[in-house]
Amino acid sequence: MKILLAEDTLDLNNVITQMLQLQGFDVDSAFDGKEALNLALSNGYDGIILDIMMPKMTGLEVLRELRNRNIVTPVLMLTAKAEVDDRVEGLDAGADDYLTKPFAMKELLARVKALTRRGSQYAAKELSFGDITLKSESLELCSANTVRLSLKEFSLMQALLLNKEHPVENNYLVEHVWNDEDGAEEETVWLYVNFLQGKLEYIDSNVAIKGEKGGPFQVVVNE
Amino acid sequence: MRESIYGNHIDAMEDVMNIILGSIDELRANMAEEFGSDPVEHCRARIKSEESMREKCRRQNLPETTESALELIHDAIGIRVVCAFISDVYSVREHLTSMAKVEVVEEKDYIKHAKPNGYRSLHMILKYDNSYFVEIQLRTISMDTWAALEHHIHYKKTASENDKLIIAELKRCADELASTDMSMQTIRDMIRKEL
Repeated sequence: MKILLAEDTLDLNNVITQMLQLQGFDVDSAFDGKEALNLALSNGYDGIILDIMMPKMTGLEVLRELRNRNIVTPVLMLTAKAEVDDRVEGLDAGADDYLTKPFAMKELLARVKALTRRGSQYAAKELSFGDITLKSESLELCSANTVRLSLKEFSLMQALLLNKEHPVENNYLVEHVWNDEDGAEEETVWLYVNFLQGKLEYIDSNVAIKGEKGGPFQVVVNE
Repeated sequence: MRESIYGNHIDAMEDVMNIILGSIDELRANMAEEFGSDPVEHCRARIKSEESMREKCRRQNLPETTESALELIHDAIGIRVVCAFISDVYSVREHLTSMAKVEVVEEKDYIKHAKPNGYRSLHMILKYDNSYFVEIQLRTISMDTWAALEHHIHYKKTASENDKLIIAELKRCADELASTDMSMQTIRDMIRKEL
C-alpha cells in the first residue's frame, strides 16, 4: 500500500511518515501543495493525506484539482482549525474523511487503514477517456462498438484509466489488478495489455495503450 | 414449365460463382502453406432459388423479369465465407477486392460498426467482369454462430417491454462473443510472433 503524505510542518511530516512506514506502508512525503499535486499526478496511490494549510497550494486546491481530473484516490484531510465550515468544504470538495489537529497518532493510523481498505469501492460507475467509456456495472468498453470485458480485463483498463496522467508500473498492476496472486507476472500483464489493445482496436477507438512487455503502461489518445 | 427468371444466364452465373470460389480456394491454399493454417472455416455459395427470387421481386414491387433478378437485385449469386479469425476476414476481403475483373459496388463493414442488435459481418456487393453481381458475406465462426442462433430464436423485433430485454440480452451475447473473438485473435498473434 502506497500513501502520499502532504504536510508542511517538518517535524509532524517526519513523525507521520515514520509511523506509517513502521506499519508497512510505502510513503511519499511532500512539504507543499504543489509538490503533493505533482506526486499525485505522476504516481498511483492507495490513499492521500492532505494538510489544508500549506504553502504554494492549499490542501483544498490540490484536492479539487485531483477530483477535476477524475482521480478518485481516497483522501484524508488534516485541519488545524476546528471550524465546521472547513470540514464541510473539504468533504464537499471530495475528501473522504478529515481529522482535526491535534490528533492522536493512533487515530490517524486507524483512519488511514480504514481509508485504504475502502479504496476499491471508490471507483466511478463510468470512466471516460478519448472516445471510450468504461462501464463498471456491465463491464462494457464502448466506443463506435461495444465489447464485454472479462473481470481482469476490466480491472486492468480501470487501473490504467484511473492513472491516465502517468505511466503505470508493471508491479503496481500485479499488486492492484491481480492482488499479488501466485503466477501473475510480467507475462500475464503483457497478455492482458494485448487483449485490451486488440479490443480497443476492435471497437474502432482512438485510445491505445502505450508500453512494452514489462511495463510501464499508459493510456493515450491517438489524434 | 415456365421459363426461369434468370433466362438463359444460369450457366454463366454458375461460372462466375465458381471463378470466385476457385480464387478463394487459391488464397486458402497459399495461406495454409505460408502460416500453416487455413483462414477459412467454411464457404457456402448458392444461386438464389427461382422461388425466393420471384418472392423478393414481389416484395420489392418489381416485375418478375430477368432484368429485376440480375440488375436491380444484387444477391442472385451469394457467397458466405466463414473465417477462423477476424484478421482472416480482412485477408479474404483484400484478396477478393484485388481480384482481376472484380469491381466493388458496395461495402458495409458491420464488424467495425456492428448493427444495433449486435450483428457483425462484412458485406460486399461485387460485380464480376461487368456482368453479374455477387453478394459476399464475410464473418468469423463466432459471428456466424451468433447470427445462426439468433435466427433460431423467434422473437418480435418490434419492442414490447419483454422483447426489449431479449433484444438487449442478445446484443450482450454478441458483444461477449466479439470480445472472445478478439482474445483468440490476440493469443494467435502472440504465438505467431514468438515462432
